[in-house]
Amino acid sequence: MTTTLEQAKTAAIPQGGGLHRRLNMATAMIGGIVFAWLFWYLAHHFLDATSRTYSDQVAASLTIGWIVGFWLGIGAFVAPLRWLIGRDNTRADDLYLAGQGQGTSRYWKFTTDHKVVGVQYIIMTMVLLGAGGILAMAIRTELIVPGNHFVNQQVYNGFIAVHGMLMILALIVMVAGPWGNFVMPIMCGARDMAFPRLNALSLWTLVGAAGLLLTTLAVGSLTMGWVVLAPIADQAGVGMDFFAMAIIVFTVSTTVAGVNTICTILTMRTKGMTLARLPIFVWGVMIAAALGIYAFPFFSLVEAQTLMDRTFSTSFFVANAGGTGWLQANLFWLMGHPEVYVILLPAVGALFEIAAVMSRKPVFSYRTAVAGMTGLAGLSILVWAHHMFTTGWAPTLGGPFMLTTELISIPTGLFFLVLIGTLWRGNIWMKLPTIWMFGFIANFIIAGVTGIYLSDIPLDDQLHGTMFVTAHFHYVFVGSVLFGAVSALAFWYPKVTGRFLNEFMGRISFWLTFIGVQVTFLAMFASGLRGMPRRYSSYAFIFEHTNFMTTIGAYTIMAGMLVLLGAVITSWNKGEPAGPNPWHANSLEWMVPTPPPLENFEVLPVITEDPYNYGEELVRS
Amino acid sequence: MSTSTNKKSLKGMLWTWAALTVVGVIIGLYAPAWIMPKSMSNNMHLTILTMVVFTVAAAPVAAGVYASALFALARWTHKGDDVPSAGPAVRENAMVVTTWLVVSTILTVFLLIWGLGALAVDNGSTGKNPLVVDVTGQQWVWSFSYPGTHVSSPDLYLPLNREVEFRVTALDVTHGFWIANMGVQVDANVGTITTIHTTPDKLGVFDIRCTQFCGLNHAFMVTVGHVVTAQQFTSWLASQPQRA
Repeated sequence: MTTTLEQAKTAAIPQGGGLHRRLNMATAMIGGIVFAWLFWYLAHHFLDATSRTYSDQVAASLTIGWIVGFWLGIGAFVAPLRWLIGRDNTRADDLYLAGQGQGTSRYWKFTTDHKVVGVQYIIMTMVLLGAGGILAMAIRTELIVPGNHFVNQQVYNGFIAVHGMLMILALIVMVAGPWGNFVMPIMCGARDMAFPRLNALSLWTLVGAAGLLLTTLAVGSLTMGWVVLAPIADQAGVGMDFFAMAIIVFTVSTTVAGVNTICTILTMRTKGMTLARLPIFVWGVMIAAALGIYAFPFFSLVEAQTLMDRTFSTSFFVANAGGTGWLQANLFWLMGHPEVYVILLPAVGALFEIAAVMSRKPVFSYRTAVAGMTGLAGLSILVWAHHMFTTGWAPTLGGPFMLTTELISIPTGLFFLVLIGTLWRGNIWMKLPTIWMFGFIANFIIAGVTGIYLSDIPLDDQLHGTMFVTAHFHYVFVGSVLFGAVSALAFWYPKVTGRFLNEFMGRISFWLTFIGVQVTFLAMFASGLRGMPRRYSSYAFIFEHTNFMTTIGAYTIMAGMLVLLGAVITSWNKGEPAGPNPWHANSLEWMVPTPPPLENFEVLPVITEDPYNYGEELVRS
Repeated sequence: MSTSTNKKSLKGMLWTWAALTVVGVIIGLYAPAWIMPKSMSNNMHLTILTMVVFTVAAAPVAAGVYASALFALARWTHKGDDVPSAGPAVRENAMVVTTWLVVSTILTVFLLIWGLGALAVDNGSTGKNPLVVDVTGQQWVWSFSYPGTHVSSPDLYLPLNREVEFRVTALDVTHGFWIANMGVQVDANVGTITTIHTTPDKLGVFDIRCTQFCGLNHAFMVTVGHVVTAQQFTSWLASQPQRA
């Protein structure tokens, strides 16, 4: 093992690489900007300047230029183009592309090694969370007292939309990105993903999309909430075009990543790794990926139609030209509800995994866990219209959608059963991953119960569009998914860095975040129950106290997250050394050296049982 | 670990569960009425009642999860810095899974039946001579007109104990018409009329707030409404300028 490690560290940079030796994130940015300018220039000169949609056409062209240039600049299409002209990649080229011997510079390149992509996703998640978090703090600062003091309404409205969208992107990649790439292929016993170049493509496409999304803040922003539905979206400036293109590009990224993930799990498993022996986390990632492949094309479609309404004067969603906003709302929520479970399931899968390892027991009722996750994914595609109970669209469908929505509580309940059942009578190892897992359990109950209120139409008629809804889904995303993601981070961090995440800082961070979440969002529930609608830049005095509490709580969460960031950064090189298998777990990612060498295994392992045989050796021997 | 200590500690968990359930039930019984706006209509009574019933029904389940998680924390946490030894290799317990499934299904069915029943009451019109009010939303004001009277007003006046039918539409973008005191909400869509019913049963004033993000002054799209006696309502109507 050590020899492999030494070899990996001292391996020379391979001779190949070709054009890739010159390309990195900087050339991607330059390429993006140059092509954006080029497309802007062409559009500016050749399009009809008297057209009502001229500025939108120019903006859309510019954004297409950006992403094309970004792809070219990062080298996304070098290998396919070489194949086309008959000069396919050699082994040396592929090794160069996988980042062999290139130290930290490989993290800023189009690197195909799944572990590099995993680390890139960690960085990407932190950047998105950081940007979204700064906007959240700006929003809460504005809402600390009634009235508009800190930013004007226009800027504030931009903040709420971009905060929402950045956080949604961050959440979608938060667990499935880092760990679905870094550990999932090793867990399956694979040398890499099924399509390593597509893996790098999905990451860099996401970076390009995030760039577009952040640019909206500079070009007049999005001022209509993250759902950006017509007709209010028609009043937006070119920021809306940037947003629509960012989403279209983003869905390319998620689709590519989803297909790659499923192909890897279905075809790249090592000998003996039957589906019933798969680590439960891999199931979570696979189900989420499948659901993503179903859901995200709707997002792409709805934004493409929006863009066509804006640039070609079609009228899919323009009410006074024969279209309807309800069509857009339907398409949006056909994506929007499954997306919640695309976000949640990888985190839940990771927590099942962590519960088993940390309580030294098999996953309780593996079949129930898989059935629960599959059932949730299946149901989630049938519930979208509960987001539209109060829109007036199809009141007769209220009953059926209430039925499907309330059924969701059955598979969700199974998650608690599996988690508690796994912990039950175990020897619970109270380390950071376990602590954050208990936080998840506490918060997810509140998220679930408040979801039941909202699924009931007479109650939803009261609570829809209020801060109650905002508090509910923040309990899902911050209280549950974020806690699951931090648990996963603390669990697999030693595999990435060879060091533990600082336990003391991690615990400080946990308590700040946990208390912060309760203060922030319980107070927000109260604001909503009292009667405060969402997306308010100011409010009446009756909402004063609860909003003040929410702001103080939000600052506490920020403090917790900053401590966590500090722990992640300081532990990277200076943390307590962990060794290759710090949790004494049995799944394959802990059987390889830390950090895992390129292509993971010297000899592919053969699997004879699942990784949860804690306590069973004793029985057998 | 003998069976007797097991039973003793399980008793501790049951007490925790019972105590947390009581806390949940008390919160359920008092918090909604305390926090939510004063009820001024039949729909709002139902809304608050549903809130109470759902909280009370959820209390034992949530308390069960909290109690067992706390119990696991208190009872089975590994002490010391060494690696804990393996726990019992329990992989399945068909009894527990089945019980949990049955209980959660029964609860879900109960919630569903309650919801469907409440929905029928909530959305049903009594059909007894409802007062029709045309509601129009635009950035960032509401206006109300009373068909058959030529009265159009920026303030909403409703007579006590008479069913109202709101016919809601919008001129520019989607708005959300919500009376927090009456538990009714529906979107105001451009080019479409949506309808909701309610019967005000308390005199007083209430706020109408917009629940769909509608642009710059969304937060300030607030209008005051009044529930007045039938007599006062008639004289208010007569005092309004008539518009053609």
